[in-house]
Amino acid sequence: MGLAPTYLGSVMSQIIVNGLMLSATYALIALGITLIFAIMNVMNFAHGQMYVLGGFMVYYTYGVWHWPFALSLLVAALVVAAVGLILERFFFRSVLRRSRREESTMLLAVGTALLLDSLALALFGEKQRGVPDVVSGVYHLAGAYIPARRLLIFAIAAVLTTAFIVFINYTRPGRALRAIAQDRETAALQGVDVTRYSALGFGLGAALSGLAGGLLISTDAINSGAGNLISIKAFIMIMIGGAGVVSGAIAGALVLAFSEAIGYYFIPGSLPYLLILTGLIVFLLFRPQGIMGRRWG
Amino acid sequence: MNRLLGPLIGLALYLGIVPLLIHGSSYWLTVFINISLLAFTSLGVWLTFYIGRINIAQGAFALIGGYAVAVLTTLHGWPFWLALPMAGLVAGLVGGVVGSTILRLRGVYFAMLTLCLTEATRLLALNWTGVTQGASGIIGIPTPFGGDSSYLQAYFFSALLLLAGLLAIWRITQCRMGRVFRALQAHEDLAASIGINVAQYRVLAFSIACAFGGLGGAVLTVFLQSIYPTSFNVTNSTDFMLYCFLGGLQFVLGPAVGALVLFLGFQLLSALGSYQALVYAILMVLAMLLLPNGLLSLRFSVRQKSMREGQV
Amino acid sequence: MSLASKPHLSLHNLSVYYDTVRAIEGVGLKANRGEIIALIGSNGAGKTTTLRAITGLVKPTFGEIWYEDQRINGLPPHRIAELGIRMVPEGRRIFPLMSVHDNLLMGAFLRRNQAEIRQDIERICARFPRLAERMKQAAGTLSGGEQQMVAMSRALMARPKLLLLDEPSLGLAPMVVREIARAIQAVNREDGVTVVLVEQNSRMALRLSSQAYVLETGKIALAGASAELQTNDRIRRLYLGISDESEPLTL
Repeated sequence: MGLAPTYLGSVMSQIIVNGLMLSATYALIALGITLIFAIMNVMNFAHGQMYVLGGFMVYYTYGVWHWPFALSLLVAALVVAAVGLILERFFFRSVLRRSRREESTMLLAVGTALLLDSLALALFGEKQRGVPDVVSGVYHLAGAYIPARRLLIFAIAAVLTTAFIVFINYTRPGRALRAIAQDRETAALQGVDVTRYSALGFGLGAALSGLAGGLLISTDAINSGAGNLISIKAFIMIMIGGAGVVSGAIAGALVLAFSEAIGYYFIPGSLPYLLILTGLIVFLLFRPQGIMGRRWG
Repeated sequence: MNRLLGPLIGLALYLGIVPLLIHGSSYWLTVFINISLLAFTSLGVWLTFYIGRINIAQGAFALIGGYAVAVLTTLHGWPFWLALPMAGLVAGLVGGVVGSTILRLRGVYFAMLTLCLTEATRLLALNWTGVTQGASGIIGIPTPFGGDSSYLQAYFFSALLLLAGLLAIWRITQCRMGRVFRALQAHEDLAASIGINVAQYRVLAFSIACAFGGLGGAVLTVFLQSIYPTSFNVTNSTDFMLYCFLGGLQFVLGPAVGALVLFLGFQLLSALGSYQALVYAILMVLAMLLLPNGLLSLRFSVRQKSMREGQV
Repeated sequence: MSLASKPHLSLHNLSVYYDTVRAIEGVGLKANRGEIIALIGSNGAGKTTTLRAITGLVKPTFGEIWYEDQRINGLPPHRIAELGIRMVPEGRRIFPLMSVHDNLLMGAFLRRNQAEIRQDIERICARFPRLAERMKQAAGTLSGGEQQMVAMSRALMARPKLLLLDEPSLGLAPMVVREIARAIQAVNREDGVTVVLVEQNSRMALRLSSQAYVLETGKIALAGASAELQTNDRIRRLYLGISDESEPLTL
């Protein structure tokens, strides 16, 4: 049993590494959906489909046409942002204006998810798609294996997450978005063009999801039907953290990423997610407002 | 009496004319069997809308009902007519237990959690191999509909089940329980403050809704004679919800009309091949944008307007 | 009409209906540049609706709103804000999760000169020393009086030309009300800001203003010089509900 401590140590560090790597990209997904929710009060059921769209943008531009990876990420972000802007302009804006029931916008969001799902299927087919490694090689750290491509994705996602937090907290448009989230009417009284900034928020939230898809396709493959699963992950994260709160999105991303890392390390197959979902329901019994969330109505 | 005339004519058409028109085409009988059973299942979702909750878990309860009937008939040799109510009971009980915890959430949070519940149930069916046989599913489920007219039998059974379901839900909305449910939809806190045991009524409504899901899922499973963890999934759960919404949330007939139009519409678009799903989705979103109160609002808009405004 | 007599803000025959319910009807009033006018009346008389119509938060059903030679009814709120109109809303409506500093920056949202913005924040710190100590604190954690100061300072950060105040004294201790009243006077005298003061606390409003309008169930019931309204006993009893022993507040 002399090997046990080192073995245990390496298991620990491998789990920590895997969890950390995943959490940065998950944070992008959670931040995107929480931003849209905070600004528009719309739960974006199409968030996973936007992720899929971003992934396929990178698949075509980087994987098939061999554009530089950075450029294809940019394209993925822009295309998905454009889709978000179109949906906001033509679907949600009018329904939000005239409907008094929360159901209408939510069902529209569900319908949108279905629409994007079938669009993805028609455009991209059913095949599972991946892309060649952006960088190759493997690093060792404290007994853990870190593939260079995962490290790169982690680094990009971490930089993007940090940039987003800085943007929201310390810039003029970021302040305007926070103001809208807290009190839409009063924000308008300060001269904020609420309609334009809401569109910005929706586009930005969508872009974050698209970026996450573009990043994760380079480590995990993607298919056109993966949208609902990603949306479920996004929901889990913001229910854990509390919807509409930046710190909650980060907390949710960390919890989900580490639960996945631990679960998949010890249990193969689909059982970990069953445990995660069960755990979520039990957690919500005790904290229905999530870790960071405010109480909701 | 005038109010009942329209539905009665519709019913006569559905029970009498439809089977005549499609004279024994098993394809079209299958389509209408599906419509009846999907509409029946959606009635449960409608009831959860009725208490002010957006339910995306009905696929889960259809799956539970499906597995219940499959396990009882194939493994334990129960007759269908005994296994069917048992499937409804099991789904209703599970719904009651789960509902007593998750119904504390509202709005999008409840919706998100019910969506997760559908996925969780699929994973449970996949992993609980001792009962469900995992991914390989349960096949060869015995059917009570036999002989040359088996499709016709199934058609009439499903149509009558739907009729019973519609009557049951309509009865519920007309009695005291229905008034309490409406109060829950509009003002949950107010309802609590005037001494209604809110939690108890919510759980009751949700259990009934889940029992509808279980029964519908059970009959569909028996009709298909097989069940897999993916037989009822997140897509089905959202479909059930969309049927209610597109039919019209104010109307008991809403889910039936929604299921009829959407399911039939989807079949009619099959000529489009790989674009079928896309065109269907586009049409559906357009309908949502243009008819925010559902298809039935076209027919009833003038007459019901004053009533609706009084209620909501 | 000579330039001097042209009002800074004028409402002409303004009516607002919510669905079919009348909130205000045929309201007309004017405020000259650099003047404080008071709009008084009981709960539900239509005071807040009038202010919301001026700021563009509700669209008038009939009537016109003129401000500095242009008709502003129908413009969206952010366009009206660009013209130099700011409202301190009823119930303060500060951004609760933002720091006091960020609340002030939101007030200066339309201004670009960072040096001037910093200067104005310093001025506000000098005017309300209690805010200076709480700059980094979330505004929602402040006391009611402090929140009212934040709301007012946020409006002042825009360097407004017209300031609309909706019940600034509501729910505040007499000492804080005096502090707020002093600030209103200072803003009006030093910066020449036109002020529309909406109050249930009519004694304070009449003391600060030169003209006053009394709203009753959505209509102007009475208008005149504030000093006159204040001294006319019959008017005071009929419209303002002031009897001599009530209202302990003195400025």
